[in-house]
Amino acid sequence: MAHQAHSYHMVDPSPWPIFGAAAALLTTSGLIMWFHYNSSALLATGLLSMLLVMLQWWRDIVRESTFQGHHTPTVQKGLRYGMILFITSEAFFFLGFFWAFFHSSLVPTPELGGQWPPTGIKPLNPMEVPLLNTAILLASGVTVTWAHHSITEGNRKHAIHALTLTILLGFYFTALQAMEYYEAPFSIADSVYGSTFFVATGFHGLHVIIGSTFLTVCLLRLIKFHFTSNHHFGFEAAAWYWHFVDVIWLFLYMTIYWWGS
Amino acid sequence: MYYRFSGVTQRLVGAAASAAYSPQGLKPIVSTESPALIFGTTTKLASDLPATDSFLGKNKVPDLQKIFQKADGLPVHLKRGVPDRLLYRTTMALTIGGTIYCLVALYMASQPRNQK
Repeated sequence: MAHQAHSYHMVDPSPWPIFGAAAALLTTSGLIMWFHYNSSALLATGLLSMLLVMLQWWRDIVRESTFQGHHTPTVQKGLRYGMILFITSEAFFFLGFFWAFFHSSLVPTPELGGQWPPTGIKPLNPMEVPLLNTAILLASGVTVTWAHHSITEGNRKHAIHALTLTILLGFYFTALQAMEYYEAPFSIADSVYGSTFFVATGFHGLHVIIGSTFLTVCLLRLIKFHFTSNHHFGFEAAAWYWHFVDVIWLFLYMTIYWWGS
Repeated sequence: MYYRFSGVTQRLVGAAASAAYSPQGLKPIVSTESPALIFGTTTKLASDLPATDSFLGKNKVPDLQKIFQKADGLPVHLKRGVPDRLLYRTTMALTIGGTIYCLVALYMASQPRNQK
């Protein structure tokens, strides 16, 4: 039986990339049908197929690594580079929205009353719920680090407790933000203030939800004994992503919530 | 002069006499046994601690490793049999059906409306 003479992973042929591309087509054209023709069938099909592709693709990666042993140190190095590059691209994504915020807030136009916050806008008090949210995310950064140390030390009980606490803190943040959105005295339609506020914090909230989901998957894998004390890259990737989400929030808080009020 | 085929340059290159005694093209004896199962047991497993042995279920990873390393020629996305096939076919139906519907919808949307 022929064996490969290198430490890279030659994956089995997989349908998920092309199905994923098709799902992206259905989602984008579904958005058009929903916006302009009031029909959401295509969008629903697109989102559902996107979800199915993601589930099966990542399920296959777990199979290839934990159950088939294909993730050599070489492969893991590639995955580390990949995750770093992905998070960097996300940082640039948020950079755009911060640019938009500073573009509008550093030189407020006469239409806004020549001031920031614009005339008539009552911004949220940065010392109330937003400060609590900052504390929550910082605490979750501590608990996820505690979870990581527990994994490397082989302490299963502590690892599970710490990761669960991290996820609960993430849910608490999301719940508080949702309440803030509902109670806010301004909406997305309230001048460029509303646009920059809700688009920047909204995308951040979406990333918190994505990060919480990633951490939840890691918790399930942790409980099912997938991680070893020195090979648990899935968890490390989730922790990196979570720290990134935390850092973005700190920037949001300092610029939009605090300086911008 | 002895030669061997270099996989790097894809050409015949000179080789020492020892190459003649271990020919490149000789296929090794094919073992009929399945290859040794790969277990991640060289590092400290969280399940090794006796005190937390049964904390939230027992370790099923070795059994799953056996299933997924069976030499049945199935690709990893179909390795578990029926549930994998069901999910795969559902995803394919949704994406291919959806793509056809999408093309029809885009065709209809591109037809000019006579009156608004």
